[in-house]
Amino acid sequence: MSATELIEQARKQGRAVLTEIESKQILDEAGIPVAKTQLASDADKAVSIADSVGYPVVLKIVSADVTHKSDVGGVKVGIESAEEVRSAFNDIVASVKKTQPDAAIDGVAVQKMAPAGTEVIIGVSKDPQFGPVVMFGLGGILVEVLKDVAFRIVPLEARDARQIIREIKGFPVLEGVRGQDPADIDALEGLILQISQFIEAHPEIEELDLNPVFAYKDGCIAVDARIVIA
Amino acid sequence: MSDNDLNSRLDRAFNPKVVAVVGDKRAMGYLWLNAMKTFTGKVYSVQVDPAEIPGIEAMGIENFPSLSEIPVDVDYVVCAVPRQVSPRIIADCGQKKVGAVALFTSGFAETETDEGIETQNEITDIARASDLLLIGPNCMGIYNRRLGVRHSGDQPAGDAGNVGFISQSGTHCINFSLVGSVRGVKCSKTVSFGNAVILDAPDYIEYLANDHETEVIAIYIEGVKDGPRLLRVLRETARKKPVVVWKGGLSKAGSRAAYSHTASLATAPTIWDAAMKQASVIQADSLDETIDAANVLTYAKPTTGNRMGLIAMTGGQSVVITDTFEREGLEVPLLTQGSYDKLSQFFNIIGGSYRNPLDAGGTIGMGFIPGNLQKLFEILEEDENVDSIAMEMGIGFIARRLRDNPDMLDAMADTLAAHNQKTKKPFLTIVHPGHVEDVSAQVRDKLLERGVGVFANFEAAARALNRSIAYWRFKAGLD
Repeated sequence: MSATELIEQARKQGRAVLTEIESKQILDEAGIPVAKTQLASDADKAVSIADSVGYPVVLKIVSADVTHKSDVGGVKVGIESAEEVRSAFNDIVASVKKTQPDAAIDGVAVQKMAPAGTEVIIGVSKDPQFGPVVMFGLGGILVEVLKDVAFRIVPLEARDARQIIREIKGFPVLEGVRGQDPADIDALEGLILQISQFIEAHPEIEELDLNPVFAYKDGCIAVDARIVIA
Repeated sequence: MSDNDLNSRLDRAFNPKVVAVVGDKRAMGYLWLNAMKTFTGKVYSVQVDPAEIPGIEAMGIENFPSLSEIPVDVDYVVCAVPRQVSPRIIADCGQKKVGAVALFTSGFAETETDEGIETQNEITDIARASDLLLIGPNCMGIYNRRLGVRHSGDQPAGDAGNVGFISQSGTHCINFSLVGSVRGVKCSKTVSFGNAVILDAPDYIEYLANDHETEVIAIYIEGVKDGPRLLRVLRETARKKPVVVWKGGLSKAGSRAAYSHTASLATAPTIWDAAMKQASVIQADSLDETIDAANVLTYAKPTTGNRMGLIAMTGGQSVVITDTFEREGLEVPLLTQGSYDKLSQFFNIIGGSYRNPLDAGGTIGMGFIPGNLQKLFEILEEDENVDSIAMEMGIGFIARRLRDNPDMLDAMADTLAAHNQKTKKPFLTIVHPGHVEDVSAQVRDKLLERGVGVFANFEAAARALNRSIAYWRFKAGLD
């Protein structure tokens, strides 16, 4: 399905929040680098997806009702074998049913586990006066506790993408500290500009979260994604 | 309406040949008619109250009972009638096809009353239907210094300045023109635009961006109706000329005050800051900072480097001027060996030093040994480690001598002016009012007259210079 069709389908179903799989499909169509994810409705299907994409894999709950997947035991990472996929699938479904019994479960998303990189987040929300605003920050606790994030208003120019990354206090982390590889800052700038263009082309999108994005020495990839429509 | 159309229509209103004042009265001290006394064109009054007409005519101003009866085209109208009468006058302005009308009248949406909001909607609809350029309501309208179109009887007229000011507040608009004028910042054109129901900040910014008289644009703004357009227009304008933006109502309680003032909605400070950075405008937080920024942009040569050569009269000041410039983001580097070689030949190191800062009071006789002062300027001018020069004037110590010997003041000011004319680097002087405010003011005026930029304290000079550097770096494609 195309972006327009996916958004239309969600609207018809009365959903504002697109699933991870839908969100990534739309972003992928726009040429934005995402860790591709497929839906498994049962454990057998999960195993066959895992076999085809290669191990290790990550399994995540797919439910429009679940906002924070890890909080309900809906995420398992580093799964190395078909056997483990089967038990992870069952554990996830059981855990979500237990902690959030009213959540409608579509299945479990299976994706090849991306190698660890420097975690950053890129978000978009709408300001009542300026419209869509891009947020950039380092991932994990740095964004949650320190609020070390920077903003720019859509549309961003190349200079804005350069500055939004350098404005955060944690920028030296991206340049590489204590022997860590530096992150591919050009690729991050490119991704931020792609997001700006994507949002300009889709005014119906209210919110977008790429959290986390893994930044590598070469390139970067959005590992999780969430789109909210108007 | 295309932008070109709007620009030429605004140009008619900002450069009027005929002005009409509607509803001025004795109780207001004939505020508007007095303000227009300096106007080089023709002023008419419109007033129907028989008790008011004789006073108006006694001022030598021709009065008409309505706008339509004025026998010529009217380029600019100031309307000061009571709120309930305003819709009728706005309709008259539309029929008369005036250039623009500034509605001084207040009591609209900012009151948060049904009646205020309804009347605001009514005048907006009338103005829109007749394609009328409405400034305000709840505003002071246009000031054109060259033509003497004023909104305060205290404002200077005749000689045009180079700084345009666009203000959502009438007070800040008037204060910028008055206080700025005292500090060497002269306005080209200003507008106070209040509730902005038809014309909004971006319209005026676009107009001043194209105005040849205006080299620097300063803005006081409380509310944003169309954020993306404001950002776009600021971005385009900042590519042409420097823009200084002072935002009111960024605090929580301040945004409440801004709503009561001009019916403006709150903007999150982080988002506002991001927008201003994207636009590459200079941000200021007060009237003083706005004037200081306009000052440095007017008087100082542009620079993209942040290394200071500092001159102070005494040891204590040389320490603190250095601390302040560094704290504000500038560097105070060591000078080149070549400079030190030259300085060592004449610099008085008893009670002084020259590593940078230059503690130079003894060497230059507190400003009264022009030959040595000139040498210091030449050395700093040639020094490749120095991008800008700032000099503290220890007026407190020499005030009595300056008062007794006005010639000495002229000679000192001439030395500074001679350097200022030759230099390729920004040159800033700091004249603190100190305990001799009258003499300090004299020194400031003498320097300003000669085209030398003056600041009241180190913070003001350092901050304004640093902000201007960020702008010139953007212009040079360096950030």
